[in-house]
Amino acid sequence: MTETTDLRAKQPRFRGLEAGHRACQGCGEALAARLVTEAAGPDVILTNATGCLEVFSTAWPQSAWRVPWLHSLFENSAAIASGVEAALKAQGRRTKVIAQGGDGGTFDIGFQALSGMLERMHNVLYVCYDNEAYMNTGIQRSSSTPHAAMTTTSPPGKARMGKRHMKKDLLSIIAAHHIPYAASASVAYPQDLRRKVRRAMEIDGPTFLLVHSPCPLGWGHDGTLTIEVARLAVQTGLFPLVELERGEVASVMPLRRPVPVAEYLQRQTRFRHLFADGDHRAREEREHLQALADYNIERYGLMGDGDDPFDSEGADTIRRGGPART
Amino acid sequence: MLEALEGSQAIARAVALCRPQVVAAYPITPQTHIVENISKLVADGRLDTQLVSVESEFSAASVVLGAAAAGSRAYTASSSQGILLMAEVLYNIAGLRLPMVLTCANRALGAPINIWNDHQDSMAVRDSGWIQLHCADNQEAVDTTIQAFRISEATDLPVMVCMDGFVLTHTLETIEMPDHKVVDKFLPPFKFARALDPRNPISLGTLVGPEYFSEIRHAQHKAMTDALETIVEVDRLWEKASGRACGGLFTVEGPADAKVGVLAMGSVVSTFREAMAELPSRKKAKLINLRAFRPFPAAALMAACEGLTDIVVVDRALSPGWGGILGGEVKAVLADMKKPPRVHNVALGLGGRDVPLEAWTAVVAEAKEPAGFRILDLEPAKLEPSDL
Amino acid sequence: MPVTMTKGAFAKAGTSLAFKTGTWRSARPVHVHAAAPCHRACPAGEDQQAWLARMQEGRPREAWESLVAANPLPAVTGRVCPHPCESACNRGKLDAPIAIHALERWLGDEAIRNGWTYPIPTGQPRKERVAVVGAGPAGLSAAYHLVRRHYNVVLFDSMPEAGGLLRSAIPPTRLPRDVLDKELSRLLALGIEFRPRTALGRDVSLDELRNEFDAVFLGVGAGKSRHWDVDGAVPADLHEGLHLLKEWLQVGALPMPKAVAIHGGGNTAVDLARVMKRAGVPEVHLITASGLPGPDTEPDDVLNVVPREFEQAVEEGVKFYPHRTINRLIMRGSKVVGVEMVRLKKLPGANGRKTRVAFEGTETVLHVDMVVPAIGEVVDPAGVEALLHGKDYFPADRFGRLDGQAGIFVGGDARAWVKGYPNGTVTAAVGDGRRAAEAIDAFLSGRAPVEEERPPIPYEALNLAYYEPSTRIELPTLALERRNDSDEIEGGPTAAQAAAEADRCFSCGNCLACDNCWTLCPDNAVIKTVETASDGSHYVFDLEYCKGCGLCAHECPCGFIAMEAEAE
Repeated sequence: MTETTDLRAKQPRFRGLEAGHRACQGCGEALAARLVTEAAGPDVILTNATGCLEVFSTAWPQSAWRVPWLHSLFENSAAIASGVEAALKAQGRRTKVIAQGGDGGTFDIGFQALSGMLERMHNVLYVCYDNEAYMNTGIQRSSSTPHAAMTTTSPPGKARMGKRHMKKDLLSIIAAHHIPYAASASVAYPQDLRRKVRRAMEIDGPTFLLVHSPCPLGWGHDGTLTIEVARLAVQTGLFPLVELERGEVASVMPLRRPVPVAEYLQRQTRFRHLFADGDHRAREEREHLQALADYNIERYGLMGDGDDPFDSEGADTIRRGGPART
Repeated sequence: MLEALEGSQAIARAVALCRPQVVAAYPITPQTHIVENISKLVADGRLDTQLVSVESEFSAASVVLGAAAAGSRAYTASSSQGILLMAEVLYNIAGLRLPMVLTCANRALGAPINIWNDHQDSMAVRDSGWIQLHCADNQEAVDTTIQAFRISEATDLPVMVCMDGFVLTHTLETIEMPDHKVVDKFLPPFKFARALDPRNPISLGTLVGPEYFSEIRHAQHKAMTDALETIVEVDRLWEKASGRACGGLFTVEGPADAKVGVLAMGSVVSTFREAMAELPSRKKAKLINLRAFRPFPAAALMAACEGLTDIVVVDRALSPGWGGILGGEVKAVLADMKKPPRVHNVALGLGGRDVPLEAWTAVVAEAKEPAGFRILDLEPAKLEPSDL
Repeated sequence: MPVTMTKGAFAKAGTSLAFKTGTWRSARPVHVHAAAPCHRACPAGEDQQAWLARMQEGRPREAWESLVAANPLPAVTGRVCPHPCESACNRGKLDAPIAIHALERWLGDEAIRNGWTYPIPTGQPRKERVAVVGAGPAGLSAAYHLVRRHYNVVLFDSMPEAGGLLRSAIPPTRLPRDVLDKELSRLLALGIEFRPRTALGRDVSLDELRNEFDAVFLGVGAGKSRHWDVDGAVPADLHEGLHLLKEWLQVGALPMPKAVAIHGGGNTAVDLARVMKRAGVPEVHLITASGLPGPDTEPDDVLNVVPREFEQAVEEGVKFYPHRTINRLIMRGSKVVGVEMVRLKKLPGANGRKTRVAFEGTETVLHVDMVVPAIGEVVDPAGVEALLHGKDYFPADRFGRLDGQAGIFVGGDARAWVKGYPNGTVTAAVGDGRRAAEAIDAFLSGRAPVEEERPPIPYEALNLAYYEPSTRIELPTLALERRNDSDEIEGGPTAAQAAAEADRCFSCGNCLACDNCWTLCPDNAVIKTVETASDGSHYVFDLEYCKGCGLCAHECPCGFIAMEAEAE
């Protein structure tokens, strides 16, 4: 075999999601899943809702997973994870179960199963890779799609400016389950993401992680910009990174300097209609999204006081030899 | 030991004897008593299992799917709408080739909503890839439940044990409950070769494209047809262990020289058995009690029907616009015989309508009617004129 | 395919490796080791990024070894270089440039303190002998680099001690003599045969050297003051700046006017101004055509001094008159009583070349009783008339080669200006010596000289999201009232300060080993391997799987990864 095959085997990190998967170039979800499984380590069993992640990782007879993995349906990742967990309990095994789903499989069709899993206090970490639409079926709006975003089922036109409704505040609903730990994270902040995964892994009980994972195809940005776009989502306040303990906000990633939402929007064609010349609605909707970001900033108290090494600009700092802060 | 038990209670006890590691269920009439009894066994410390009381039948099926994939013996029960809500998962369980047992307390499907017995629910998931075994009485249901785990684990196919709602589930019968030791010997602890395990991390539930899909489906179909043999063999082994058999794929009862046959599944078989004893007909007829609906014992049934001129197939379900589902299948199978009997198809007892002993006479008489389908116990007076 | 896999269509772990997604790629990531701006700006040819990297790794000795591969005098240049590297430093656009000079000085001092020896690359001894004339920075550098190449070197100087201008014209307040002595003695101890008190043209002739040696390097400096007058007028008691400075350094003598106008914008002018001010001259004015250091001054227009020297001069009370020249001397008899200044600026003319344009109506008068020109020096032609042809400097190329003079090489202040290779500083002379050594080696080996060429790395090519603003170190400086003629004014950093300051380096154009590419590749197509990466990075791209998304290139903080189109 080639030299890299040998090197690959000697990588100083666990590989949960191996190369050779068929995600698009620059796929945020593939990256997120890679980071989550690396942080979680080998002693896990994964479940997976139907969706891009499932499709691109397991084209039979191949699989990109290096951890035991189970996919059943679109809407039952949480429920099959509950079953796996019950079985492990019955067998006296301590392997952690991680349920995975996209926003469609989590916010929408799998919502009930997720709620049930949380309510029954299964020892499962549920990870939602949030790319804010049904991407696998060709970019249809989900309840996670941001307000005013264009999808194939929320197209802009004379009568509409993209999605009419707001992005569902899933974390608050998760919080209402009073589970030990829930957090939002972003692929743009891998250290923060890993820390949150490790924190969740340590807890015996249901935990939830919402990982903002850009979809270059669905959002309309170049695959090179996946991290940049994800970072802007955080830095604008549109996707706050927060941690909830028993439903209470325990910590947030402060914004050192909130970036205007236009910076985020203009990098993505799903918001292109918000920059149409001579359309007064474009300005209105941009302001609306800015107001939503401002609302998040106020609600979660995202404005830090002074430079914080773990704020939106410090948390991804690197130095020679790796991340500056871990 | 003989005990007088309600059907559901007997099933709960039989399930407990099989030591399932995970039980997940959601209440629905007429399945509830089974789950309640299992819950009580757990509460009393008589059954050590992870009992997952889920928020829907959909999740019940999903939980046992996950549990089986993780290598645990798993059990669930449902009925009617619950079976339909499970339907998507049931196909999945079968496609993933996960062993487990489900009790279907057979009930009609709405609308109109009707909580009483017929076979429409299990028929609705006929093609899901589950083995479907029907029970004529509660002793059969108990024995079949125990056999079902063994069949399932031998074939990596899920088994649905169909027992009529209310008629069996809520009826007190004298049951011989097997001894724990007998069951433990008959049913060793579950070992699943494809269990999810970090030491051998396989992926279950992959995407299979057009280039392989037919082969995977063929493998599933072949496993189902091969299971016919397993069903017979397990029944034989159970007879050896417990002294009771359930008749393998089907039983043929009544006069050997009868030219008319009646084929039925479920509790009506018990009714017909009694009618055959109580109401000796002028017309001789055989009673074929079909136990294995899926896989369908085509070859054996053809052999059993040699010499019959007419066969009346009794359906407890209806495919609107077609007729009886079982009837259609039997007709299709027997068409391959050199001299096939005429196939008459009736539905009766839909939505819990009582099937009295006299129904036997009417069913046998149907052999004189032209071949075709009708609802035998229809009361035309209750119809609107335009429905006539 | 095992039949059992059809049972539920399960798949085995990691088998996707059979699916080579590398075929999807239309562009591939490549490591591009670009030249950091500090490196490009360094006249000595140091790769500051490279030695800062060793500092970041906590390996100061290796940092020093990397540094002295180009410049053997870090303890000196760390003190006296106007550090164009810092002006070019990309970090300056974010907050403040790395204090490279302070780190260079620290490494130089550490080397002296710890007795680190210059690393000499292994190689076969050469039998050829090379004469190096002038033991100033150019000659010392040439000798050093020739020794590194295993040549026999004889170093000639007219003075009793090596050092050239370092010793004769730089005040010890900027360059303590013990530092200079230690640096030079270690250098000479490498096996350089030093012949002091041997002046070219007086004690030895060029022809003798040509006969005795296989090659000759002339680092003779510019020892003769440039002619200065204002419209033909010259004060009777004119003293030239460098001469005054040398005299003060040698014998401590200094004129004491009431007010002096020093004309010039280099180190000599500023050093002299400070010396005179500190010696008690009430008014010291410095008139220069250049601009003062600051964000609005273009790099080619700024005062050619160490920026902090300028700041200290202002502190000490020297008055600066930038963008001005002396238009007229106001004389009373043969005595100067004042100068008339006019504002000017270097502006592009019709041919695009910048010329000085004076602005009529901006004339002002300074009342001074002394004028000192410090506008530079030219080569003293003694002994080299045959090569100079009456010119001020040797018309050598960047490698120091002179047309038609095979075997003769020139560097330092003695050579004429070459585009892209400014001279007039210690570091430029060091760079000249290094390039000349390469040219001499090439000449003696029958090959063409080469110089490493790497593409530049603009600020825009960095991904700044990964760097935090940070504070540049503050170096200890003697309080005004404590400054004298001998004590060094600026101190060096502590080890902890040096380490923290080195950590601020962006690592422009070179791998920072930050793991970003490894961490952020969605396709697991970046492999971390310190040992195998042959390009100095810690990573290799697994092109069997790399889909060419370009994420790694975009998120590389240092601009070290570029996307290169695949062949059709």
